[in-house]
Amino acid sequence: MSVEEKVIEIIVEKLNVPREKVKPEAAFIDDLGADSLDLVELVMAMEEAFDVEVSDEEAEKLRTVKDVIDYIKVRVGEA
Amino acid sequence: MSKKRWSCDPPPLKIGDLVAPVPIVQGGMGVGISLAGLASAVARAGAIGVISAALVGVYEGEAFFLKNPTEANIKGIKRQITLAKEKAPGGIIGVNVMVALTDFEPLCRAACEAGADILFCGAGLPLNLPALRPEGSPTKLAPIVSSARAAELIAKRWWQKYGYLPDAVVVEGPKAGGHLGFKPEKLETPETQLEIITPQVIEAMKRYEDIAGRPIPVIPAGGIYTGKDIYFYLHKIGAAGVQMATRFVATHECDASLAFKEAYIKASQRDLKIIKSPVGLPGRVIKGKFIEEVEQGKKKPYKCMYHCLKTCNYRQSPYCIAAALINAQKGRLEGGFVFAGANAWRVEKIVSVQELIDELMEEYCQAKKEDTNS
Repeated sequence: MSVEEKVIEIIVEKLNVPREKVKPEAAFIDDLGADSLDLVELVMAMEEAFDVEVSDEEAEKLRTVKDVIDYIKVRVGEA
Repeated sequence: MSKKRWSCDPPPLKIGDLVAPVPIVQGGMGVGISLAGLASAVARAGAIGVISAALVGVYEGEAFFLKNPTEANIKGIKRQITLAKEKAPGGIIGVNVMVALTDFEPLCRAACEAGADILFCGAGLPLNLPALRPEGSPTKLAPIVSSARAAELIAKRWWQKYGYLPDAVVVEGPKAGGHLGFKPEKLETPETQLEIITPQVIEAMKRYEDIAGRPIPVIPAGGIYTGKDIYFYLHKIGAAGVQMATRFVATHECDASLAFKEAYIKASQRDLKIIKSPVGLPGRVIKGKFIEEVEQGKKKPYKCMYHCLKTCNYRQSPYCIAAALINAQKGRLEGGFVFAGANAWRVEKIVSVQELIDELMEEYCQAKKEDTNS
C-alpha cells in the first residue's frame, strides 16, 4: 500500500467519513467535520502507522489531507 | 486543625502525597481574581488554593508588562506562588495555566520552579505538559477536560510519549464560569451535563489507574454550589473532590475589587449570559453595559498590545478580552465584564474563606446525615 493510500485509509477510519470525501484538498475541520480531539487522534494514529514522531508545532500545520500525505512522504523518505 | 470543626469528617482529597483535609479545589480565575491572596486563604482553610497564571505579569507594573510581557508573567507567577506559600505554610498551592496562553510553556516551567504543588491546565489540550516540568520537580500535573474522550486522549499521549499519567483530572461541565470547553449549542444538552460526564471520566481513568499503579482522582467542576452538591459528587458519583470557583469570588480574601464581587451579589438569574469570546470559545458572563455595547456593534477593533492568547482573533475582535477582564478585576466595570458560573446569581453576601468552607462542610455533614438516616 502506498503512503497516500494508507494515510487516506487512516483518515476514513478515524474521522468516520466516506472515502470519496477524503480528497487531497479537503480540510479536516472545515470539510471533514473534525474537531480538535479528532486531529490529535489522527496525528497519533499516523505516528503509530508510520513510526514517526510529530511535534505539536508540526501537527498544528497539518490542515488538509494533502498536508498529511506530503508530510509523511518526507518523513518516510518517499519525497 | 486539632479541634473538630464540623459535625462529621469529610474525606480528604489525596493527590499523590498531597493531602487536602477539605476535599475542595478552588478553581483558578483570571485575570487576577485568584492570586496569592485568595489561594493562600483557601490553602490555610485546608482546601487547595489555586493561582491563575493568566496575565499575572500585569500586577508587576503595567509599564514593565507592556515592555516585556513574558518576563513580567514569569516574574509575576513566581512572586504569587512564593507569597501564597509564605502566607499558607504547609498548605497546598496550585496554579492554573491555560494551554491557550501564548506563555503557556514558560509559565508552566516557572510555576514548577517556584514550587507550585500542582498545575491545572485546560482551555486546550495540555499534550506536552510532562515535558515542561523540570527534572526532579515534585509538582503534580492535572489536566482540565470537558469529556472522557479528552481525558483519555491526554492520558494515552502522556503515557506513550513521556511514560507519565495525570496525577488528577478536573472535569469541567457546561455550568462553569468563564471560558467553556463546549460548543454553544451543546451547553444545555443532557449528555454534556456534569453528572453525566463525570462518571464517564472516572470510568475512562480506571484503565490508566491500573497502568499507573495509583489512583487518578477525578475532580468535577461547574455548578457545584452547596455542601449537599459536594456530598452528591463524592458519594453518589464517585469523585475524589470537587472544584468550585464562583463561591470563592464572594469572599473578603478574593483578589478582585469590591465592585467585581458586588456584581455577583447584584446579579439575578437572567443576568447570566453566554458570549462568544474573541478566543473562539463560549464564555459565561454577568451581562452589563460593556457586553450590550459589544452586541450593538459600538465597539471597534483595537490595537493588540501583546498577543496573549494563541487562539485570539485579535484582528477582528471588537474588543480586547485581556483589557476587559483586567478592567473588571480592578472595578472598572464600564470597561469590561465579569466572568461567572451559572449559579453566581445565588450568591448573597461576602464572607471570609473560612466561613465559606465551614458552611460548605457543615452542609456536607448534614447531607451525609440525611442520607444515612433515610
